Amino acid sequence: MKPAQILIGVIIATLAVTAGFWAAQAVLKDRAPRHDLSATRFPVARDIQPFELIDHHSAAFDQDALQQHWSFVFFGYTYCPDVCPTTLSVLNGVAQRLQDVDADVRFVMVTVDPERDTPERLAEYVTYFNGDFLGVTGSDAGLTQLTRQLGILYNRVEPEDGAAGYLIDHTAGVFLFDPDGRYHAVFTPPLSADRLAGDFRKMLQDYQ
Amino acid sequence: MNTIKTGLLTTLLLACLCMLQAVQAESPIAIDAAWIREAPPATSVLAAYMTINNASETDQQITGMDSPDFRSAEIHRTVVEDGVAKMLPVSGLDVAAGGSVSLEPGGLHVMLFDPQRPLREGDTATLVVHTASGAAISVQATVVRKTGDDAGHDHAHHHH
Repeated sequence: MKPAQILIGVIIATLAVTAGFWAAQAVLKDRAPRHDLSATRFPVARDIQPFELIDHHSAAFDQDALQQHWSFVFFGYTYCPDVCPTTLSVLNGVAQRLQDVDADVRFVMVTVDPERDTPERLAEYVTYFNGDFLGVTGSDAGLTQLTRQLGILYNRVEPEDGAAGYLIDHTAGVFLFDPDGRYHAVFTPPLSADRLAGDFRKMLQDYQ
Repeated sequence: MNTIKTGLLTTLLLACLCMLQAVQAESPIAIDAAWIREAPPATSVLAAYMTINNASETDQQITGMDSPDFRSAEIHRTVVEDGVAKMLPVSGLDVAAGGSVSLEPGGLHVMLFDPQRPLREGDTATLVVHTASGAAISVQATVVRKTGDDAGHDHAHHHH
């Protein structure tokens, strides 16, 4: 190999490495670093497949109902004495903390007990915590359409002898949907209003 | 005369103290800050929370609770496994000698079924705590409306 050929080879290699660095930097610059969160956020928010449920006004609650605003969604049931009221109290705390944000934020409880939780019952239950909260129920099939794509588990536990009514084990996280109607992030327990509201402000900045 | 009077008084005082101690020995368990979460409308299951103190020098066990104000009462523990919340019945709750156990939202709680009368914020209900040693400790729990903020960090009605 002649010295001139070696020189050309070195120049080409140097140019290639430089170009690689430049390209990598351009890509990284394009993707601004996002805030660290305690929530689990998807690198790319997930599309939601069609589902059919009804809200506590007996209006349709489907994938389109998640569009144009942020939604904090919790899955619970009204016969749940500890986890569900505690979570709805936390969500009301989040609502109070986010009153000043420049975004439409909604809070929804989807029942995992459609057999007992009628729209009327849910209306009384969720609005006790906050008049703007929305309760959602529907058919078992409709519920499965939504819960399956979110990886939500719920399991009816029959009472022991002498105990009243059945209980339901259920996923206790809070699911966040963005204004594109996509599954954006999930908060896992233990939940606190400070943590959820703080994370939400960061996600709002990253989203805009 | 004075000496006799003083002697009698001392004896009486000692007798009183002994009786007090006897009462305490019967129920080494003391309940503090008992409260019931006010139920949202149309709800027939509620939860009560409290701190159970064991001032004695022996371990104690709570075997159950009941209440004249509810159809039934059960001690439960909420556990979260792989993100799924479950309520597990607790048949015996150990309180170590000189220790205490807190029943708090999202953890240990008393599940109360079917109130026998409407219970609204500020009302009180009676809970009876049973121990393995056969003691029954009656406690008044205040109904508290809790709909906001971080539950578990702002217990109402602490008595100091």
